[in-house]
Amino acid sequence: MTSHIAPSVVDPPWKSLLGHEAQTDIDPITYEVIRHNLWSINEEHAATIVKISGSPIVVFGHDFNPSILTEDGEWVFFGPYIQYLNAAGDAAVQWILENRSANPGIGDGDMFLTNDPWVGSNHQPDVTLLCPVFWEGKIFCWVTNTMHQYDLGGNTPGSFCPSARDVYDEPSPIPPLKIVEGGVLRKDLEELYLRRSRMPYLVALDLRAEIAGNNVARERILHLIRRYGAATVKGAMRKIIGDSERAFTEKLAALPDGIWRDQVFLEVALPGDRKTYKCALSMEKRGQELTFRNAGSDPQTGAINLTYIAWRGAIQSVILPFFLYDQMYAIGGALRHIHFDATPGTVTVANFPAAVSCSPAFGIYATIVTANNCVAKLVAAHPEQRKVITCNAMSQWPIISLSGIDQWGKPYGTILMDPMACGTGAFADRDGVSTGGFFHDPMGISPNIEHNEFFFPILYLYRRENTDSGGAGTFRGGNSAVIAFIPHGTDRIEHTTASCGAAVPATLGLFGGYPGCTNSYRMWRSTNVLERLRAGELVEEISAAGGSEEALPSKASGIVQGRDDIYQIWWNGGAGYGDPLERALPLVERDVRAGDVSRAAAESIYGVAFRGDPLEVDAQASEENRTMMRENRRRRSTAPKAGSGRIEGTVLLSLGEALEVVDTPAGRWFRCSKCQQGLGPVTDNYKEHCLRYDGPLQDAGPLIGDPKRYIDDEMVFRQFYCPGCVVLVETEIARRDEPPLRDTELH
Amino acid sequence: MGSDTFFIGVDVGGTFTDCVVLETGQPLRSYKASSTPRDPSVGLFNVLELAAADLGVAPQALLEASARLVHGTTVATNAIVERRGAPVGLLTTRGHGELLLLMRGMGRTAGLSVHEMLNIPASNKPEPLVPAHLTAEINERIDCDGDVVVALQDDEVRDAVRRLVAAGVQALAICFLWSFRNPEHERRAVASAREVAPHLHITASSDLIPRWGEYERAAATALNAYVGPESSGYLERLRSGLAERGLTRPPLIVLCTGGVVPAREAARVPLFTLGSGPVAGLVGTGVLGELIGCRDIIATDMGGTSFDVGLIHDGEPVKTPVNVVGQYHYALPSIDIRSIGAGGGTVAWIDPITRGLRLGPRSAGADPGPACYGRGGEEATVTDADLVLGYLDGAHFLGGRMPLYRERAVAAVKEIGAALGLGVMETAAGIARVCEFQMADLIRKMTVERGYDPREFVLFAYGGAGPVHCGVFARELGVQRVVIPLGSAAAVWSALGAAGSDLLHVVETTEVMAAPLDASRLGAAFLKMEQRLRDQLLSEGVPETAVEMRRWAALRYRSQIHEVEVPVATEMLTEAAAAELVNGFEQRYARLYGEGAGFREAGVELVSLRVDGIGRTPKPNLPRLQSDGPAPSAQASAGNRPVYWTERQRVEETPVFLGERLHAGNVIRGPSIIEMVSTTVVVRPSQQVTVDAWGNLLLDI
Repeated sequence: MTSHIAPSVVDPPWKSLLGHEAQTDIDPITYEVIRHNLWSINEEHAATIVKISGSPIVVFGHDFNPSILTEDGEWVFFGPYIQYLNAAGDAAVQWILENRSANPGIGDGDMFLTNDPWVGSNHQPDVTLLCPVFWEGKIFCWVTNTMHQYDLGGNTPGSFCPSARDVYDEPSPIPPLKIVEGGVLRKDLEELYLRRSRMPYLVALDLRAEIAGNNVARERILHLIRRYGAATVKGAMRKIIGDSERAFTEKLAALPDGIWRDQVFLEVALPGDRKTYKCALSMEKRGQELTFRNAGSDPQTGAINLTYIAWRGAIQSVILPFFLYDQMYAIGGALRHIHFDATPGTVTVANFPAAVSCSPAFGIYATIVTANNCVAKLVAAHPEQRKVITCNAMSQWPIISLSGIDQWGKPYGTILMDPMACGTGAFADRDGVSTGGFFHDPMGISPNIEHNEFFFPILYLYRRENTDSGGAGTFRGGNSAVIAFIPHGTDRIEHTTASCGAAVPATLGLFGGYPGCTNSYRMWRSTNVLERLRAGELVEEISAAGGSEEALPSKASGIVQGRDDIYQIWWNGGAGYGDPLERALPLVERDVRAGDVSRAAAESIYGVAFRGDPLEVDAQASEENRTMMRENRRRRSTAPKAGSGRIEGTVLLSLGEALEVVDTPAGRWFRCSKCQQGLGPVTDNYKEHCLRYDGPLQDAGPLIGDPKRYIDDEMVFRQFYCPGCVVLVETEIARRDEPPLRDTELH
Repeated sequence: MGSDTFFIGVDVGGTFTDCVVLETGQPLRSYKASSTPRDPSVGLFNVLELAAADLGVAPQALLEASARLVHGTTVATNAIVERRGAPVGLLTTRGHGELLLLMRGMGRTAGLSVHEMLNIPASNKPEPLVPAHLTAEINERIDCDGDVVVALQDDEVRDAVRRLVAAGVQALAICFLWSFRNPEHERRAVASAREVAPHLHITASSDLIPRWGEYERAAATALNAYVGPESSGYLERLRSGLAERGLTRPPLIVLCTGGVVPAREAARVPLFTLGSGPVAGLVGTGVLGELIGCRDIIATDMGGTSFDVGLIHDGEPVKTPVNVVGQYHYALPSIDIRSIGAGGGTVAWIDPITRGLRLGPRSAGADPGPACYGRGGEEATVTDADLVLGYLDGAHFLGGRMPLYRERAVAAVKEIGAALGLGVMETAAGIARVCEFQMADLIRKMTVERGYDPREFVLFAYGGAGPVHCGVFARELGVQRVVIPLGSAAAVWSALGAAGSDLLHVVETTEVMAAPLDASRLGAAFLKMEQRLRDQLLSEGVPETAVEMRRWAALRYRSQIHEVEVPVATEMLTEAAAAELVNGFEQRYARLYGEGAGFREAGVELVSLRVDGIGRTPKPNLPRLQSDGPAPSAQASAGNRPVYWTERQRVEETPVFLGERLHAGNVIRGPSIIEMVSTTVVVRPSQQVTVDAWGNLLLDI
């Protein structure tokens, strides 16, 4: 079995199972009532899961999502929880119809469980339970949910397995299994399922929550059918899909055709590895159709892969907020016009038996970043639609995994959820929101310190927003946070680190915006923290607590923290938007006063000069600085392939902050919107017509350290300037020996 | 006229200040005066003068003869909504000064509706409650056991407070990590701050709300400080103003816990007055429910802009531990009232993409208001639909005080109908239906999704627009009976609830303890809390015989987060009783979250204890109506009018009755309309209304 892509069968044998009848002329009042009802069924489905599970993962992390699909597996509604979860429900329904309808059969009261990333799950801990809803002997629709489980086995507690060589080191994928048959949970299959878990009781409870959620949703749908008639309810479902389809295609029709590309580099495929791995994505837009491709991604390797299912789900979680926010995330209609042309055998679409259990922390987020940037560059061309642009939030989740004996003398193991408090990326007209959270998990919550200190034997020294963590820009990314803690009530804690985006920035900005900072794990050994506490003083800077830093690998297990060792972690900040040298001076002054940006970064990245105490921007000196910095940009850059000077022409499209397309006698040309400098015909990569500077990654922000700590590949932070006015048109994180990415290719 | 003749309740609303005067054996009297937002006490004194004039006594004499005056205030609410609270300084543990900026990473979307939440570029965190430069981090640290890790130094606190005062703070919030486990550092910080700044309004988190979870606790503390100076100033003016005018006892203030406290105590914890208006309404519901034998009640209040729902289960209002205001989650145990934008003024509109009918959450408000108000509003609202359908009578709205223009309502509804391809009646019926569905949906969320079956509840419908629509949303939920309380009193319900409230002080403590529970430790903790409450109630003049203590314990399964509160018997705890507590928790958990939802293998732990110290206050006796047979008298009939009935999809001539002229025992079958001064009851076909002995209308679905 390689990566599974549901074939489109015209007249499959299972078609007779399905009830298709739908009314097309529903009165608008009934439609509105049924629509609202279907949405609220999803909410009640979610509330049922939260009620029964009661697990912190579900309640705080919202690591679950319910959905309703039509009889043949088209989305009706999706819950507002983590968006990439359950994004494979449609593929799983189609898989079940194709592969289970003859044997063992699909009947009323059945439910199918799967955690197979090649069928219907992002990674093995995400368990999907699918329930056909029967009416008069035929499948009327499906209700499903996906929930993250504490542990389903594999070589690492918690089932994120960063050292897995292949899927056999990970939890075994379970293809759709009829675990509930005719309304009865099958004991033999349940035991088969629970046997693999280190925490079988909790997994059993969550399975009951999933079953109860589906039962509630099924009952309410049947109630609707009895009240309004099956054809009317189905008609309302079709209309929801049709409305979302129209909303989506109308938006697409107003946008230019072309291909947009982006790429993120993952790193360290397994502990000890020192290479980078490209996740490439392109999005082609033609008329009312979008096609996503992962061609150009590196071959699958190590433990950093994701499957087709997860790749597609990641892309969906970008489509939802930016195209369907006004359609309550009804994605079914849009998917009729979105095509996924996958190249299997790659890190982004890996074949069995690649290791994929870490995909949510690495590959899914990488795909979200690339998809988001492609979508943003497309909608930038429309004066209204560009308002939805939201730069990326944290791209790579640093797993903070602790285990040992707690202060109550009991064994524990956990992953800290503090990184939920990550910076939201910049918007097209204002800064990102510091610790504002992900756009693809609208209700995510970070734990209270008092919760973590009660459940685990730790004492936080600080948790605060991390100065300079957000990417610089005309509008800067929101800052993320930094935490540090010591063991408390125990002598030792055993840590596992697992992160990408520690060497190579992965939270990429837009239109000259800088990336958010890299992730960081730091251990300061043998500090004087305990004496300092006894002396009545808290420690706010680990470097001020004596001791010495031990460089931690970004993927390793068995790291032991002793009583006087301080462990500090920070995570990716939000990405920036537009050239930092274009940022208004008063905003930089506010940033520095508020501690959002350091004075050093304000000077070196924003070119701002200060005077006095309290600090005040010296406007004249700042302008002089900025002029010098622009000259320096020109001096250090490689010249473009051909200078074309200023060009005249009618503006056809505005593509972001400094790039536009004009109609000239010589055809359509890229042009700098600030100074009318020509940047080549649209048949070229405009970057080839820009000044180019390949700097070290550290140039991208003060919190970005030397990548050589983790990797050997030569990586650069590339900046492309207009040869006329030297405005920063675009940035890139790239391998030094690779040509500039053609991010915008208009048809 | 003795000194305990009257019971007065005053509720300040956005438009009107309502006053209820109760006197044993007399019909309930109610008054309305315009609210005076700048200084609400002006409106309060005005309405008291109205009442005195009506009773034919001098205002002084009215107050002198009052057993008590109970008041629901919106001063704190308005200070938050209008963001004009005092500059607040925050003292917190060093290393954690940004806890109110981080907002646990959820501040961007907290408390927003789904539609707002999904619109990411429009989302943002609120303005900081405490700006960074007014935050001082203090070297002190307590751990999860309550043990001191870093000792507090008083000098450091004094220096910090001096600096904050110099920077302009008028109120101080103190929230240290783990202070609810060990309040010593916060207490010393309060003492040091008082030394340095005696006039500063100071709130310590361990004193206000000793709850686990530093963010929600700090937010509550900072909010209390934020509204503190203005609230305490107002309450002091009110207290002295009333004393000058003859009130012999301190005025009592309604809190969101559902009880009342003397004004001076309310000035210490003004945060507890947030949302107390609707809470007073729920308390009134509880009092009336007790009277007529209902212990499970869904209380609904439909006003001009919103639809509010609260629950009473087994005689106790259902509470929530956490609330949201301005996107800040804050810890505060309060009666849980949820609200959606579905009131009379809620606007109907056409979705530009689906071409479907949408309703709200925007409201036309009071100005311009619904199209039928004739004040320039052109958008169709729920009230317009009600008028078009014949539910409302344009000539008799609010007892005829405010004419409604039907032709304007028709024009507005027609416009919506044109976009939908529907006639004007179908469209109006559609607007009503969508509205009623949204109401049923909110109630469903508050009942079914939390483990309560709405079919086992009686639904109370009050507020101007509620009785128009309750027949439908009650039917949607499978509710058997609706109570439209006390006829005309429904419009001053919150004031009436206030007048009937008991004194209530709540003390909480966090005691984390694994089962089997240590009975002697529990008993000692409860006794200590009760002693404090008893002292306070006695000092407020409550007689010993009227003091009542209710013990509660919150427990949960160790690896799950749902906490469930269970009552604890008020005798000395034995080991057996402690074991019973765990059983009671398990039963209640199963009831709320489903059989088998509890993960017993992880073990049960106790999280916190609470005691409600209640000072029972005498209740006025409500007079009974004259009793009569089922047939309403001829005087009660107001003829017929054409009404559109969705069930029959046609307009029918429908009998109309005057509510004030109905007698106990009268029965009215639907379809029919009952006009009251402040509301209209729509009796759907196949439903019927019976008038009970107190004048409540009982609607059988």
